Amino acid sequence: MLETYSLFAGLGLYAAATLAALVNAARRRPGTGVVLLLVAAALSVHAVSIGLRWQRLDHGPYVDMFEVLSSNVWSLHAAVLAGVLLLPRLRALLPAVLPVLQILVAWLVTLEVRDTVFPVTYDTVWLPVHVLLGKAFLGITVLSVGGSVVILWRRCVAPAGFAALPSTKLLDEINFRLLLLAFVFECLMLLAGAVWAQDAWGRYWDWDPLETWSFLTWLALAGYLHLRVTVRPPPEASALAILAIFVIAFGTFFGMPFVSTAPHKGMI
Amino acid sequence: MGSAVPARPAMAAAPHRTAGRVLVAAASLWWTLVWMAAAGLILAAGLALDAPVGAWLALPCFGLCVNLAAALGVNERLRRQPGLLVFHVGLAVLALLAAAGRLTALNGTVEVTQGTPFEAGHVEGRAAPLHPWRLDRVGFVQGPFSIGYDPGMLRRHTRSTVHVPVADGGWESVEIGDDRPLKMFGYRFYTSPNKGYAVVLTHIAADGASRTGAVHLPSYPLNEHRQANRWPMPGGPVVDLWLHMPEPVLDENAAWSFRLPEEATLVVEAGGARHELKPGQEVPIGAARLRYDELRAWMGYTVFYDPTLPWLAAAALVASAGLGWHAVGKIRAVSGDGDA
Ligand code: HEM
Repeated sequence: MLETYSLFAGLGLYAAATLAALVNAARRRPGTGVVLLLVAAALSVHAVSIGLRWQRLDHGPYVDMFEVLSSNVWSLHAAVLAGVLLLPRLRALLPAVLPVLQILVAWLVTLEVRDTVFPVTYDTVWLPVHVLLGKAFLGITVLSVGGSVVILWRRCVAPAGFAALPSTKLLDEINFRLLLLAFVFECLMLLAGAVWAQDAWGRYWDWDPLETWSFLTWLALAGYLHLRVTVRPPPEASALAILAIFVIAFGTFFGMPFVSTAPHKGMI
Repeated sequence: MGSAVPARPAMAAAPHRTAGRVLVAAASLWWTLVWMAAAGLILAAGLALDAPVGAWLALPCFGLCVNLAAALGVNERLRRQPGLLVFHVGLAVLALLAAAGRLTALNGTVEVTQGTPFEAGHVEGRAAPLHPWRLDRVGFVQGPFSIGYDPGMLRRHTRSTVHVPVADGGWESVEIGDDRPLKMFGYRFYTSPNKGYAVVLTHIAADGASRTGAVHLPSYPLNEHRQANRWPMPGGPVVDLWLHMPEPVLDENAAWSFRLPEEATLVVEAGGARHELKPGQEVPIGAARLRYDELRAWMGYTVFYDPTLPWLAAAALVASAGLGWHAVGKIRAVSGDGDA
């Protein structure tokens, strides 16, 4: 019971934080303290739900769509919180990035909650390592998604929008640097995944659909980083590219493992 | 002779300048994009056509390697930033290692009957052109194994005991399974979900000469209702073998473990005649006789050989560390209020 209550309370608090961020932005008020407190409260309450389920089922949130999405809603909000605390100049990014995350929250609410069984191939330390690296990758990427939303907003809606944030030019540069770090975690995630695949299935890489899509994600990100260095596209083009990369990464994380019946599910 | 002297430097400089220009051209970041796009296209084509494309990727890999080597030679900015340099060198090493690995690898499967030695000739799979073929040095004897299932046919742990020869001439029992392979001479044997029943038969020719061997039935429980196989008898007809199990071994709704059936009959069909045999019984077929000795289990393995494995992991780790160092430095530079 408490597991369900704390889940919905947490999701409600994420929504409240988003609402507060949007109200702040609409009123052109810089105050982000309340928003940060609400996000922190949401994370704590949501963590109780994840923890209770973990204890009850005796395995972490790794198995089905509900568990993976729930833990990612948590980790993405945590990454945003950590990001704006470590880079205070990005605080005004909250009204741009939190609404994006609410799409995931809404999706989570529609999922059926069932008890899951932990596959044997998941019984390895490489699973949490792989998952944590993936969460870091997606978490940092989501910050640059926020920056891209701002750049496109300024271009298409209100040139003077998000006045508390750095200039579009600087934001574009910060996005690039964040993605540089995200790319490192992406590389390490693939490495941990390959080591795990070698242990579990006797091959480190075999181009199953999930592996192919992760490589395409890697390639898209590598391509963006190089384009950014070589042709220096205008910030709006970079922003669109970042959104596209996020969509590919997102599809790889949440689409492929559950669409494909390939061995990656670990159960036969 | 004298006139030849001033000509020398000019003749030497021309190729030097051409080589320089080629190097600069080869180092262009446009090549990087071209090769990345090529890799993406090859992969997308593989996905669309549902075809294995791994080998084709060697081309963009090699292209990127040449491109990188040239860039490291001519690009001052790349060499000046240590983190970036480590990353790109790591990347080049990685591409080379991956190519070397793909050229020497072996990926295969093998089935080993319980109580019998592994036979290199039974490995089915693909070996790369430069594979050093040392499979015949591998020796182990298949011991007992267990594969458990939870209710709902969820496969759980696999434990396989194999006996391996040790230096003093004796044997040592090793338990492998799940994520623990048997490693011998660079080959790794991973337990696979494939396992099944093996019919041990003795063929007794008209002159009394006998030979014993095992015919493997298809993987169980995957082919639960198709426990049959054909076997061409030496010098005789092709016989159809079918294992009749009146009591099912598996229980979909309960926990169970792979084991031999308690009650099973071997049905042999040859030349239109049908015989039902219990272990120890025999039947005349043509001029020869066929004896059904016993039912055993066979265990399936994935065989893997790629000597570059630890080096690949190390190169990837070093490359990532280099880029991480570079990225953290660059983010720090924009974390304050100043401009980048
Ligand atoms: C295929 C995978 C590759 C990836 C993921 C990759 C990634 C990167 C990244 C992240 C940067 C950092 C840019 C910065 O912080 O300023 C960079 C810079 C650079 N890369 Fe690569 N790289 C790859 C391959 C190559 C290749 C094949 C070349 C060969 C030409 C190359 C040449 C360069 C150069 C010259 C720079 C420095 C750019 C500058 O600062 O002017 N890279 N690369």
